[in-house]
Amino acid sequence: MVLSFPSAPAGTPREGCRRRIVKASGLRLALQLAIAVVVFATAAGGAATKALAFSSHELAAKIAYCQDCHGPAGQGYRGFYPMPRLAGQQVEYFEDQLRAFVEGRRLNSIMSPVARSLSPAMMTALATDFRAFNPRPLGGDRRELAAMGEKIFQDGVPEQNVPACAACHGPEATGIKQIPRLSGQLYLYMVKTLTNFRKDRKEHLSDVMYPVVESLNKRQIEAVAAYVSSLR
Amino acid sequence: MMKVARAFSAHSRASRNPAGKAKSWVGAFAGTSGSQGWLDFMGTRSGIQLALPLAMLVIVFGGAGRTSAAETAAVSKPELEAKIKYCEICHGHSAEGFEGYYPIPRLAGQTPDFIKYSLQAFAERTRTNNIMFHVARVLSPDMMAALGAHFHDLNAKPLGAGPTDLVAAGKEIFETGVEPRGGGRIKSCSSCHGDNAEGNQDFPRLAGQLDDYIVDKLTNWSKEFGQHPSKMDVSRIMQPIAEALTEAQIKAVAAYLSSLQ
Repeated sequence: MVLSFPSAPAGTPREGCRRRIVKASGLRLALQLAIAVVVFATAAGGAATKALAFSSHELAAKIAYCQDCHGPAGQGYRGFYPMPRLAGQQVEYFEDQLRAFVEGRRLNSIMSPVARSLSPAMMTALATDFRAFNPRPLGGDRRELAAMGEKIFQDGVPEQNVPACAACHGPEATGIKQIPRLSGQLYLYMVKTLTNFRKDRKEHLSDVMYPVVESLNKRQIEAVAAYVSSLR
Repeated sequence: MMKVARAFSAHSRASRNPAGKAKSWVGAFAGTSGSQGWLDFMGTRSGIQLALPLAMLVIVFGGAGRTSAAETAAVSKPELEAKIKYCEICHGHSAEGFEGYYPIPRLAGQTPDFIKYSLQAFAERTRTNNIMFHVARVLSPDMMAALGAHFHDLNAKPLGAGPTDLVAAGKEIFETGVEPRGGGRIKSCSSCHGDNAEGNQDFPRLAGQLDDYIVDKLTNWSKEFGQHPSKMDVSRIMQPIAEALTEAQIKAVAAYLSSLQ
């Protein structure tokens, strides 16, 4: 069983590092066990039709599997495709997206089979787990555009009918409920998402974004992406 | 118009068939006259003389079915429609409101005067809201009026109704007012906002407004409204009222209002 942990500070002596690893993974195991206990308890008290419970091993294995692509603390990864940050993501949004992959309301040939392997209870557990992670953002790409991006994000561009992102995503891009957190999201992933929005996302919840992405030009997309990717 | 009449008679003379029966001018347009198709007719001098007044009639009356009260000469239809679409990104497809990071208020059915007043207040920073300041600062008075007229005509179902157990208490406050602890009396909300909270000119419609939006505004009234250092603002009427209401009363009246159609 592979247990990962939030990145240890650089230059740590090996001995202290090992102790830290043991302590961190102990905490993580405790968290996962707690989740498993809650799930077991509700499953035991619930109706026969409720989703199957899963063991802490299963959950830990699933998290490790997600981390293979999404980064050791869910901070995202610049692979062939930019794989998005999951750390700190809103639980409701996280669950919605997994369901959307299953139902084909969001199209992605890698994530569809991934999501289909997850029970609803597992989706909730993963969402809850990733919500708690808080690693540094991967990197503020195109830093020179961040100031322009901040203006667009906070004030909008009324001359162009671009609404302020902050109205829905919050002034710190934390999101809320089914509206995603954007802070610390990968620059490339944000650019890709905003550019291809209509192609990949059919779901009812996202079509509020359609007029937004239509009103943004390429430069503005890059600017907004640069800004949010730098936010903690 | 005399030229048109002459054109008609000239044409009908021209289109008589050998049997002497007058062809209907409609037939000429339909191309059944045999002597002249309508396109040929239009190319003639009499055709052009007919075409111009006809074109004017079409332009003036052709859009009548779709011209709304909202359109004025100064605001073009595409501009207005684009702006409405932009407003609806945040305020909801039918301006019913939206629970974003902040509760974004319903505009559907709002009084045009209040929308105009609010947009002006945002632009002048009499009412402080950074996002709405930027929205409003680019709007011309004509556009503000057009938007007011448009949103007034919308009629969506209420979006965010509050806790139903508070509705009865809220109804009472709305209809009979309250007696604040400091003494005196706050008169009924309905006396200004209407018996059904439908609003009246500058006094906004409250029916169907988002529950948490109402709570937020009443709670933070003096922080957001009447912020202009020198300009007297009609929103000042609400300041003593908002300050006199207790938290429980605010929640109750919000629950009631958010449940109204």
